[in-house]
Amino acid sequence: MREITLSQAVNEALAEEMRHDPTTFILGEDVAEAGTPFKVLSGLVEEFGTDRVIDTPISEPGFVGIAVGAALTGARPIVDLMFGDFIYLVMDQLCNQAAKQQYMSGGKLSVPMVLRTNLGATRRSGAQHSQSLHVLVAHIPGLKVALPSSAYEAKGLMKTAIRDNNPVVIIEDKLMYQDKAPVPEDEYLIPFGEANIKREGSDITLIGTSSMVQVAEAAARILESEGISAEVIDPRTIVPLDEETLLKSVRKTSRAIVIDEGHQNYGITGEIASRLNEKAFYYLDAPVLRMGAMDVPVPFSPVLEDLTVPTPERVAENARRLCAGEMIHAA
Amino acid sequence: MPLDVIMPALGMAQDTGVILTWHKSPGDPVSEGEALFEVETDKAAMEVEAQGSGFLTDVTATAGEEVPVGRVVARISETPEETGTTPDIAQEKPTEPDDQTSSAIPEGEQVIMPALGMAQDAGLIVAWRKSPGDPVTAGEILFEVETDKSIVEVDAGHDGFIAALLAEAGEEAPVGDVIAIISSKKPEAPVRRSLKARGTATPAEAAPAAEPAPAKKSASKAPESRPTQQAAPAMGGRILASPKARRLALERGLDLARLVEQGYPQPYHVKDLEVLESLPKATASQLSTAAPGRYLSAEVTADGFGEFAVWAAKEAGLTDAGSLLAAFAGSSLGRKDAIVALEAFGKTRIFAMHGRRLSDLAEAEPEAAPDLRLRDLRFGRLSTIQAGPEDTPVLSVLTSGAGLKLTLECSAEQLDASAAITLLSDFAGRMEQPLRHLL
Amino acid sequence: MTSKTKTKTKTSPNTDDYLRMYTQMVRIRTFEDNANQLYLAGKMQGLTHMYSGEEAVAVGICEALTDNDRITSTHRGHGHCVAKGANYKEMFCELLGKQEGYCRGKGGSMHIADQSHGNLGANAIVGGSMGIATGSALRAKLLGQDDVTVCFFGDGATAQGLLYEVMNMAALWKLPVIYACENNGYSEYTKTEEIAAGSITARAEAFGIEAFSIDGQDVLGVNELSKKLVARCRNNEGPFFVELMTYRYHGHHVGDINREYYRSKKEEADWKENRDPIIRFRGWLVEQGIATEEEIETLNEQIKQDAKEAVAYAEAAAYPDVAEVDMHVYAETDPATLQAGN
Repeated sequence: MREITLSQAVNEALAEEMRHDPTTFILGEDVAEAGTPFKVLSGLVEEFGTDRVIDTPISEPGFVGIAVGAALTGARPIVDLMFGDFIYLVMDQLCNQAAKQQYMSGGKLSVPMVLRTNLGATRRSGAQHSQSLHVLVAHIPGLKVALPSSAYEAKGLMKTAIRDNNPVVIIEDKLMYQDKAPVPEDEYLIPFGEANIKREGSDITLIGTSSMVQVAEAAARILESEGISAEVIDPRTIVPLDEETLLKSVRKTSRAIVIDEGHQNYGITGEIASRLNEKAFYYLDAPVLRMGAMDVPVPFSPVLEDLTVPTPERVAENARRLCAGEMIHAA
Repeated sequence: MPLDVIMPALGMAQDTGVILTWHKSPGDPVSEGEALFEVETDKAAMEVEAQGSGFLTDVTATAGEEVPVGRVVARISETPEETGTTPDIAQEKPTEPDDQTSSAIPEGEQVIMPALGMAQDAGLIVAWRKSPGDPVTAGEILFEVETDKSIVEVDAGHDGFIAALLAEAGEEAPVGDVIAIISSKKPEAPVRRSLKARGTATPAEAAPAAEPAPAKKSASKAPESRPTQQAAPAMGGRILASPKARRLALERGLDLARLVEQGYPQPYHVKDLEVLESLPKATASQLSTAAPGRYLSAEVTADGFGEFAVWAAKEAGLTDAGSLLAAFAGSSLGRKDAIVALEAFGKTRIFAMHGRRLSDLAEAEPEAAPDLRLRDLRFGRLSTIQAGPEDTPVLSVLTSGAGLKLTLECSAEQLDASAAITLLSDFAGRMEQPLRHLL
Repeated sequence: MTSKTKTKTKTSPNTDDYLRMYTQMVRIRTFEDNANQLYLAGKMQGLTHMYSGEEAVAVGICEALTDNDRITSTHRGHGHCVAKGANYKEMFCELLGKQEGYCRGKGGSMHIADQSHGNLGANAIVGGSMGIATGSALRAKLLGQDDVTVCFFGDGATAQGLLYEVMNMAALWKLPVIYACENNGYSEYTKTEEIAAGSITARAEAFGIEAFSIDGQDVLGVNELSKKLVARCRNNEGPFFVELMTYRYHGHHVGDINREYYRSKKEEADWKENRDPIIRFRGWLVEQGIATEEEIETLNEQIKQDAKEAVAYAEAAAYPDVAEVDMHVYAETDPATLQAGN
């Protein structure tokens, strides 16, 4: 199968869906000729014109609000938020407006829009361009949240996000834009709420999201060389979350580590760990561990920044201790 | 149809309003928009206008009165005559709670139904030893409880006076429930109440005004809705093991305590169950030791029992000192029927007790399963014994200097800590002052 | 607009329009009187904000719109909802949290929406719907649809940054949106002059948006300007900004009764007695011979009766089934549309 970059995969998904549905359009800062700073959208304005690939002023609440209004009245806008850190700027439009229209109207109004943005540290971008803030939106009923972990997921999830009748926040790992993965040429969509078992194993389940799927896979390879069989699962969407697949795996392996690049405190890792605890308690042979980003603003200095994100070595170390039956009181 | 004049909701967080003045009197003609009365709320005075025209009638609230929002305070009728119907007032007057519920629980130290057994969530009050108003000291027996078929005497725990007894003999009270109050001062009006009346004793919940007779409703519901408190697991006996290891051990009939006995380090995980399964089959007595043992000892003077044995042999013809010991041990269990195995001089005799007097003791069938083992080691050389839990609690009597050393060993499952303490204390008391046994 | 009270056929086609405008204003006032009563009587819970006094704004503008045109509304939104064609029954049901309400009782007074007449909903965030209105206009332009969107907001909302972001984009992209600023003189409990520096219309003019400031108590004036601006929007000449000078008779919300610290009873009385949009228009109708006093009284009585019936209906109506509590969190998506090749 051909291999393309995550960036190309997103671009393909957008182009296919914009051909497929004339009510779709892209809205954001420097999305047209510039094709965004990450060049993910390059070429789209040539095909669809500036009417459907619209450069906006630097007014995040404004253009997200505009997208909500367009979606509410029959279009399917795809908003490009240049950095995930800017989610803070658009919280009212996203959480008070987009997320609640369907419910407040008793099901009469819907907001079929996509907000695509990114996450991920270790790009030396400092504290305001490196955050992984998906938990903020995952907390809000009415929003769906997809976290592609490779080019394949990026394309399939984006196509589903655009066709879904709800506001969907899809967050790409900005360090992965140039990573290649096999992506079929034929059209495909990845349904929301279906986790992907990336690797089967019997001793421990490593649940990774987005950037952390690669980390979990690398940890699994380290563990394999030591005779520990790790199962790696990528939930792909955290809202909705495919609990069944996660529970089935944990019931089998009896141990789990949840790895996510958001801050660990009150984070995605805690949420998933808690559900495993509530629903698979009597199958657990060890505490479910959380491994999130350190609870510090992301530092600039490379030496410091690299400490803040879970690494395969640290995941493997924790997995080893869990499998050895050590009494773990996680740091 | 007459229009209701209501106390309006005017402020953000307002639920009543005070009528400052009426601008109209009953029977006065009023027209729509005219000010009817003035209300004070949130520190502001506000005129309330008539919502229609007619005559003011049925005024039920006077100036100065504080009225709940939404309450009808008057009507605007087509004629100046009273309609005579003032439904809201009659309905909304809070129902007077009956006497039993209104008598407040006096202040003082709370006495609760203790958790005495492992999986016990209620205790039957057999008898109160004190009456309301009685003085009481902390160490005095306040009541007797039957739980798990045994009867336990419970101390008052506090010095003072019985201010309230909140359950009657014969009633079963949930563990943790307050069943008596001991006040420091002599109560003026001590309370005696049955548990059944208690549902209404809790302060009446603020029920929506529309709900009629809220007090009765909550009375009938309260007993069922009371959460039953589980007896706390015995502290210290907790084995550290994963949830899955515990579940599988339970399913396979394995006893994690055996890993403890064998010295395997905790916490236990599923892989440790393999070790557990490979251990040599336990004997019957070992199998029942599901939890680590309790070991208690007490020392008493030997004179009391010695003199009693002499007296019993002479005066009552009871020459069998062993049976006396068995009777003391059996009655220390605090239950009506008990089987005691007496091991002395290499022989085991089984006694059955059917009451609390010496004459209630008889030798029983050797097959009868004992509730308690008693080892009479007074004439041996052992100075201490710690043999570990067996299939029943074991009381041992050893000689220690001029006195006797009494030990009780049992598993945590057989007796919880307080029951074990009670048993040994009781036995020690009887051994030291045997006459007490006859009283 | 089946919900509107039918009036006798008159000779001039304008006559119908005038009577309908009058009817709609009275329907708003009557709705609010009833809503106020429901609140005062403790029958309606929560917060509500009365539109009484501002009727000419909503009616003057909405009478220039079709059902296909959209509006976004505010926390003080009952007037917009009635003016855009909503029915009493569904509105009262919504106010009382009943299942037959426009939003099945899930929205309430501050989130009432009536999509069937193009009302995208009230918004309880001050200034919260400015993006939505502008987005609706962008959608119309992109999809080649000729509807116009009116964004209602108050003077207080001009302090929100969102307004300037979206006006900028609306002007850049020439969107068919009319920003209708209902200046009732008070930003909640504070005089507008204390919260707004400079001129309000100048804010729009800075973006090159044509702006107007007019008497919001004159329904004919409001309607006349609105018709022109709507037509110009359809002709790709938007956006526009209109400041409508008006007055709210009640406090910021129904519980705001002690308001002399921010405005005098004398001032309130002056607006009610001398500048009431309904009294003014009624006088004009009689003067012009469009309706007689008796006809108008009959009309008023009919509306009162309609409201009374709707209130009684809503009071007796059922609450939503408790099973609805977690319904409508997410919209359904037809699984077939999620298949490749579709």
